[in-house]
Amino acid sequence: MSAILKLENICYGYTDGSYKREILKHLSYEFQEGTFYTILGPSGSGKTTLLSIMAGLDKQEEGKIYFMGEDIDKMGLYKYRRNKIGVVFQSYNLITYLTGLENILLSMTETDNKLPGNQKELAYALLNMVGIANTKAERLVTHLSGGEQQRIAIARAIASNVDLIFADEPTGNLDTATEQEIIKLFQMLSERYGKTIIAVTHSNEVSKFSDHRVLLKNGILNDL
Amino acid sequence: MNFLQRAFNYVIRKPTKSLLLAVTFFVIGNLVILGLGISQAADNAKILTRKKMRAVVSYEVDYNKYWNYIDSLEDADAQNEAYKNYPKVDKETAINIAKDERVRTFNYMTNNTVYGIDIEHNPLGNEDNRNNTYTDENGNETEYKEPAFMVYANLFPSMIELEEGTFEIKDGRWYTQEDIDSAKRVVCITEEVADTNSLHLGDTITISQISPSQKKELIDDGMSEDDINLELEIVGIYSTKEDVDPNSDSFKWMSPYESPKNRLMMPLTTYAEYSFEVTAELRKLHPDWYGGELDEEQLRQDLETPSKVVYLLDDPLNVDAFVEDNQSKCSEYTRLNANNESFKKMARPLDTMSFFASIVVWIVVLNAVVIISLVTALTLKTREFEIGVLLSIGVSKLKIVAQLFVELIVLAFIGFGFASISGSLMAGRVGELVLDYQTTSDQQYESEDDSSYVWTSSTDYFTTVTQDQLLSEYHVSVSPLLILEIFVLGTGVVLIAIVIPSFMIMRLNPKQILLEQN
Repeated sequence: MSAILKLENICYGYTDGSYKREILKHLSYEFQEGTFYTILGPSGSGKTTLLSIMAGLDKQEEGKIYFMGEDIDKMGLYKYRRNKIGVVFQSYNLITYLTGLENILLSMTETDNKLPGNQKELAYALLNMVGIANTKAERLVTHLSGGEQQRIAIARAIASNVDLIFADEPTGNLDTATEQEIIKLFQMLSERYGKTIIAVTHSNEVSKFSDHRVLLKNGILNDL
Repeated sequence: MNFLQRAFNYVIRKPTKSLLLAVTFFVIGNLVILGLGISQAADNAKILTRKKMRAVVSYEVDYNKYWNYIDSLEDADAQNEAYKNYPKVDKETAINIAKDERVRTFNYMTNNTVYGIDIEHNPLGNEDNRNNTYTDENGNETEYKEPAFMVYANLFPSMIELEEGTFEIKDGRWYTQEDIDSAKRVVCITEEVADTNSLHLGDTITISQISPSQKKELIDDGMSEDDINLELEIVGIYSTKEDVDPNSDSFKWMSPYESPKNRLMMPLTTYAEYSFEVTAELRKLHPDWYGGELDEEQLRQDLETPSKVVYLLDDPLNVDAFVEDNQSKCSEYTRLNANNESFKKMARPLDTMSFFASIVVWIVVLNAVVIISLVTALTLKTREFEIGVLLSIGVSKLKIVAQLFVELIVLAFIGFGFASISGSLMAGRVGELVLDYQTTSDQQYESEDDSSYVWTSSTDYFTTVTQDQLLSEYHVSVSPLLILEIFVLGTGVVLIAIVIPSFMIMRLNPKQILLEQN
């Protein structure tokens, strides 16, 4: 296995008036391909901040992030987000005036990594894979349950044919039964399709099923 | 699912928001069309009327300015000196102005009444109404013989009447530049005068600027017939489309020389030479009639100088620009006159209306930018989350702005589309109401205030247009070009309205936007 994502000396902090609070302190870590990671840590430890930086949604103050050996700053964060990664949010973050299918097609249209074949059929296949039937796929996402929306969010994350998926508290808004289903989905993506999953979570259930657990404490990552 | 599809989906799936925006555009569109429609109709009416008017400009003495100058002189000697050096149109300047490419041709022409010695004038048909007798100091009723012909003497053969087809040579030829330069004693007469006198090409006619009664005295004083008369060879017989109006008020009292049929066309040099000889001879015989010594050079120059030079231009719409471009060539007390004063006076209601309509348009456009920007900003505020999501999946800022722009432009087109129908109806009705009011109040103002005196002469060449004719050209119809202008204007407004708030949101990174929303 080789490193899909390498963090090197990452620093990040907030300025609160004259007080500077350092969240990430010269953090370095390597995430391997095809592995399901969970990042744990106490509230306010900077888990979501770290995930945002890794996903190119925010920018570190110092340090470098390499995706498959390539500096993501040099690659360009738009290109990185569009072609290299997928993100699953706690509150799903789907476009509400689009159907489930259209949310998937949106991601497929934007990426430069298009899968060959009819895009609509591929989108249906992806949705079926995450457990969304065609009839539900054609509904506006606001007419679907939280679990169904999160499944669509996962399908959207992989729709751009990426190998790395970030998930920020992916089961935070879901009941226990649905949480189990989502965990299984991540496991399947990792084991069957070789995707790397990096999930930030409070949930022991989620972390229990991951391949690798990492603790963020005092601004650095440590394997558990 | 590209940005166009997303935009259309948003418009369709958010009907309330879309409807509110479309109504906003509809209201704004109506006001803009109202203003632009009225303004354009007023401008069109002026252009159409201008086109109906003759494209003529005259180079003439600016008497108002000259008299004001004389009045400003307090010293009587200075006033006398100024009278002596009265302004005149200048031949070189006239020719220089004629070089302007917009000039089709020009008339450098004088006109004088003359008596026919061996020819009769073409009768007007009002002879029964006219009494050409007067009672002399001895109480005898004496017949008064008035000049029957008008000589039009031109320095260049290509004149306006020929260019416009008012004159058409029927027999023979027009006098040439060579005839003019050598002061040949040739003349062109109308076919009516030719018929009345059974005249043909090669025949001669004799005219005189001296009346028969004065002629008798002058012959007694020693002048010969040859000194007094001018014999001319007929080289051309022409027809003229001009004629007197027997229904006009002045017809009853009209003199024969006022009829275009009694015009004699001849070289200016020939007539000026004849006039010079007559004047010089009279001065010799009666020096007491004239003050001072004869300045031959000055007299010749005066006789060859018309009161005005008239230019025919290629297009009536070029008149104002022509005057503006060439006015600087004129000396201090001469000017180029396009007869604009009366036209501008007539167009005043339209100008006032057009002015206020333009102000309305600008106010509406400025308000539209503010209103649409605010509406857009408020709409975008509710869509920050969506923008954050789109940014997080790598959609470029440009595509996001493009989507928002398409959404607004679709609604703007719907709003403006309906507004182009209702706005044009409103513009027509409102325009007529305002014009009626403006015309009524203007007429009242005119009757209270207008004491100016307008002098016109037969060499004016200006077309008389009444205010009714001008206002009858006022028709509000929203042309496709105007609709296009409004759509372009609307697109610009929408673009400004969308770009500013969009970038205010997108200056943030996706995490900040999403965190704020979550």
